[in-house]
Amino acid sequence: MSEYLQTVFDKFELRVHKEYHYAEDGLWAKIEASKVRVGVSDYLQRTGGDVAFVEVARQGSAVERQAEFGTLETAKTTVSLLSPMSGTIEQANGILSEKPELVNADPYGEGWLVILAPRNLEDDLKMLMNADQYFELMLKKLETEHKKLEVR
Amino acid sequence: MKTTMQKKVIVIPCSGIGKALGSVSREATYEVVESLRKGVTETTCLALITSGDEETLQLVKTNKCITVDGCPLQCAEKNVKLAGGELAASFRVVDTLKENRKLKPKRVTFLDRDGQELASLLAKQVAEKVDELLKE
Amino acid sequence: MVDLPEKKVGIISCSGEACVEGTISRVATRLVLEKLRPEETVTICLPLFLAGGKEERAFAKCYPTITVDGCEKQCAKIATERYSAKPASSIVITDLTRNPGCSRSGRRKLDSHALALAEKAAERIAKEVDQVLDHWR
Repeated sequence: MSEYLQTVFDKFELRVHKEYHYAEDGLWAKIEASKVRVGVSDYLQRTGGDVAFVEVARQGSAVERQAEFGTLETAKTTVSLLSPMSGTIEQANGILSEKPELVNADPYGEGWLVILAPRNLEDDLKMLMNADQYFELMLKKLETEHKKLEVR
Repeated sequence: MKTTMQKKVIVIPCSGIGKALGSVSREATYEVVESLRKGVTETTCLALITSGDEETLQLVKTNKCITVDGCPLQCAEKNVKLAGGELAASFRVVDTLKENRKLKPKRVTFLDRDGQELASLLAKQVAEKVDELLKE
Repeated sequence: MVDLPEKKVGIISCSGEACVEGTISRVATRLVLEKLRPEETVTICLPLFLAGGKEERAFAKCYPTITVDGCEKQCAKIATERYSAKPASSIVITDLTRNPGCSRSGRRKLDSHALALAEKAAERIAKEVDQVLDHWR
């Protein structure tokens, strides 16, 4: 059984990890014991473009839910990264400074962005979608906003 | 009278059609072979290399090659290596982009100003490498 | 569940750098993708296809494709047949451009004549797309 929900749009396979929680803008949160790992969804990396730079707030920084904690600079735009929950940044993914392409190649795995120590885990989780809900949202966005996923 | 064939450096872009970076790779290559290092460089079709075209394979096996890839997938580099070409250097448009963060090429079919500028900057880097390789 | 269009046509263009027809092939394909049939087509990136791109090869196996080659060597057609499936249709630009005017254009930047040929080629590709889709529906 696959750990992903998936669809194909144009020629692109778009996946949603079943175990993660999602904000509407495509940031995901994965609960790991008392910590939360954060990254971007397949849909977000695909529509954002080839990542050239990843910048996130320093270790020890406090972040608020839905406040910017970093940016992804891609070949075509800059994507603001809004934290899916409140907490403190415990670790940033250091590999991304050398290999930002991991965000595109493996958005749910090696392309993770930060690990948070959450402050309001229970309340913040209620504000996130589960995989099925995000998957439906993604399908709607594909249909209405992105007739084509390829760069024009 | 024997004629010695002058060695050239073969510059091979990925020319990826789906992204602006592919168009930049193509434009940078043309800038090198038609302008900056005309006469000592040549380009050829990546597809001809992969399809096993004899003349093209002979060209890339007997001359030093530089690949110019748009993105980190590096299709040109992979394909030239697979074909046994003499790969001397590889460039990625995305690396030049990292050095010039203000440039955001958006158009694919016909490059916009940022795309043209990025191609021009990359072409200069490739041209310098050509000079190094020709000295060897 | 959102109802996404089932059938799209993949266009695989050669993009050959060595000659002006390769550039015409590329531009014509992009015109189809961007303007003439944006919702009915996708491009298959030939270098990625050749390098083993999963999505490109999977698409070309399951969906109808049209190959657009600059010259008679037909690299796009050969690669598609080798790695995926026989294309539904194949176009060779030199068949459409049997006109000495074309060869005067630079391969880097198409002159107005070559651009007009690219537009004509794009129209031809678009018609092929319609025929392929009609056949599949």
